[in-house]
Amino acid sequence: MSDHDNVSRRDIIQIGAAAALTVAGADRNLASEPAPKFFTKDEFAMVDELSELIIPADDHSPGARAAQVAAYIDGRLAESFEEEPKKSWREGLARVDSLSREMHGQSFMRANPEQRVALLTRISKNEERPQAPEEHFFKMLKGHTARAYYTSKIGIHQEMEYKGNVLLQEFVGYEVK
Amino acid sequence: MNLFFSPDKPGAADVDLKRVYDAVVVGSGAAGGMAAHVLTSHGMKVLLLEAGKKLNINKELKSMEWPYDHPRRGDIPPDTHALTMNEYNFRARPYAKGMPYDHVYSYVEGWNGADYSKNIVVDEKNHPYTGTDYAWVRARCLGGKTNIWGRLALRLSDYDFKAASRDGFGMDWPISYQDLAPYYDKVDLYLGISGHKENLPYLPDSLFQRAIRLTKSEMMLRESLAGMGRVLTPYRAGVTTDGLKHNKYRSRCFGRGACERRTGGCDIHAAFDSPTGLIYPALDTGNLTLRTNSTAYEVTVDPVTGKARGVSFIDTETGQTYEARAKAVVLAASTLESARLMLLSKSKAHPNGIGNSSGHVGHNFCEHLMGPGVTGIVKDLVGKARTIDDGRPGGFYVPRFRNLADRNPNFIRGYGFEGSSGNKMFPDSAFWAKGFGSGYKKAVRDYAGAFIEMGGFGEVLPRYENYVDLDPSTKDKWGIPVLRFHYKFGDNEKKMAADMAAAAREMFEEAGIEIVNATREIRTEGWSIHELGTARMGGDPKISVLNQFQQSHDVKNLLVVDGSSHVNASCQNPTWTIMSLAWRSCDHLADEMRKGEV
Repeated sequence: MSDHDNVSRRDIIQIGAAAALTVAGADRNLASEPAPKFFTKDEFAMVDELSELIIPADDHSPGARAAQVAAYIDGRLAESFEEEPKKSWREGLARVDSLSREMHGQSFMRANPEQRVALLTRISKNEERPQAPEEHFFKMLKGHTARAYYTSKIGIHQEMEYKGNVLLQEFVGYEVK
Repeated sequence: MNLFFSPDKPGAADVDLKRVYDAVVVGSGAAGGMAAHVLTSHGMKVLLLEAGKKLNINKELKSMEWPYDHPRRGDIPPDTHALTMNEYNFRARPYAKGMPYDHVYSYVEGWNGADYSKNIVVDEKNHPYTGTDYAWVRARCLGGKTNIWGRLALRLSDYDFKAASRDGFGMDWPISYQDLAPYYDKVDLYLGISGHKENLPYLPDSLFQRAIRLTKSEMMLRESLAGMGRVLTPYRAGVTTDGLKHNKYRSRCFGRGACERRTGGCDIHAAFDSPTGLIYPALDTGNLTLRTNSTAYEVTVDPVTGKARGVSFIDTETGQTYEARAKAVVLAASTLESARLMLLSKSKAHPNGIGNSSGHVGHNFCEHLMGPGVTGIVKDLVGKARTIDDGRPGGFYVPRFRNLADRNPNFIRGYGFEGSSGNKMFPDSAFWAKGFGSGYKKAVRDYAGAFIEMGGFGEVLPRYENYVDLDPSTKDKWGIPVLRFHYKFGDNEKKMAADMAAAAREMFEEAGIEIVNATREIRTEGWSIHELGTARMGGDPKISVLNQFQQSHDVKNLLVVDGSSHVNASCQNPTWTIMSLAWRSCDHLADEMRKGEV
């Protein structure tokens, strides 16, 4: 994906964070993007939306969507040597969808932003000790999202404003006397 | 300023196997590199055999590569696998047996994945071992584990050398601090070490270059610990912070920040590694011949004199076998590999393996236990502006405080803590902050610089019943019998670990640090990668393998100059002691050879 694409995506988000939220994901022209390598287009849209809900664009920096977290996860899963992670993701996404139907009477991507947040709130409440399958899925989703986001250009430079990995003439910090 | 040295020395002179070298050295890590340096500086003609390959190490380390410029953000390719912490506990040995991956690597800790260390450590599929649980990390390449070592460079003291006299367990070393101090000084000056003088009798100071600076939270903890009569000192790193005028292969440290993201590895070689620190300068003397891909499998013996004649080795690429002859054989293959080689070297004169008339080769195997530790948050640093805290070769060290003046009723010996804190390229808070959304994102940001953590390293007692021997049936890729482990932590280790966990908590609480995570469990045996003791020195040939100059009691022209010679593990990281001992012993060997006594 070129920088130009990045910028235009970020612009879309910043033009109307509120407006974008109402139809997030569904409103984007996914047809113009490269096909996902592992996920179906619908699954990819869900991962994209879920990751953005976990790390959203805000006043401080762009979020998981702009950092292409879903594409990174998709790429890793596509080349995975093992079937188990593929299965976990596919089943987890299906579980989120069925939970959405249970809670709100419609699929996750058709649910409104408040409903999506309500679902995420529910599956994240036992984050430290996940029990139900959807709670385990949340932990996996969040872990991969965090890992992908905070190792991305946006995560390191814009969000965290990391200043290291440069040559320093003087060490930084406090000298012990 | 040319920062980016090419560490690729042109190939050494071809090996002449018809010639009798003054010495053949087996292994090119800290010990073998030091042996090569010292012996060649005495004008001796030395052949250095390394079992692994010569890597273009900078291509492996890529110290400044951004995670997003790596296709898997540091992870290894999908058809390969690095053993996880858990797998060492539940998988049957050999660990890689039956795994579907093309390659299975030892685990080397670091958040940024195993892709940077995978070619440095061995492929477990080719290098099996059996027996009890043990996380055995081996690096087969020029320089061995010094390419990725943790860099903490500490001295031992008479609290360690004479520990048996203090508490009655085991055996004193046949040397005291006074014997080794001049050699510690030589290593400090030749290789460079960073640190701050503390004047502690149980952790002697080195001849330090500029110290690493501390973060605000580390300064706070240092002050609080001083009130408890304990010390927090800047990480004593085997890193040149001021530069070394005599070494053209190494730069001084520029605090770049790659140090924190994975274990060791420095592509400007400010951190010591054996190739640029020792071997390339030794090659420049013209006295050193180097042969890589050469796995020694036997120390050969002169049938008439019973002395060592040389080393038989196999070319790991061609499968061809050779014998290299030398007046002296110096083993430096690592604690476990040197023991293996001695046990493999059975002859009429040495039916239990060369140098093993005592039956102690492979025994008294010891190391450092790891696991107990604590992570906390310094409230004053929440929400503060970013600082560059990870451009340091290390964070801090809390030296031992147990069993110095007083006696702990539950265990003998001691432990120290290594720690770090502050902002890092990957925020500690990302896997800690709860929830999701803007609140989560802000919490990651606000807390990123507020974390501080430390983990203990404790002395594992050298016990005869902890040992390795040769497995009667399992062989490595080249048909060489492999090691079988008989090794378990004992009661002293378990009680020490419990105290470590409690003490870590106490120190953070006393400093007002909010504890967010505390570990009590001991990690798998081997986790510290500090194996020691399998061919210990001693005055009595019946219960020790080597004399105080690391010379075999049985075979005068055989030296073992790596960690296998250590009489106990102490709780200090061993690399600096390994190199100081090797320097002293090689000086002695050169001297004896000059006098014609070997």
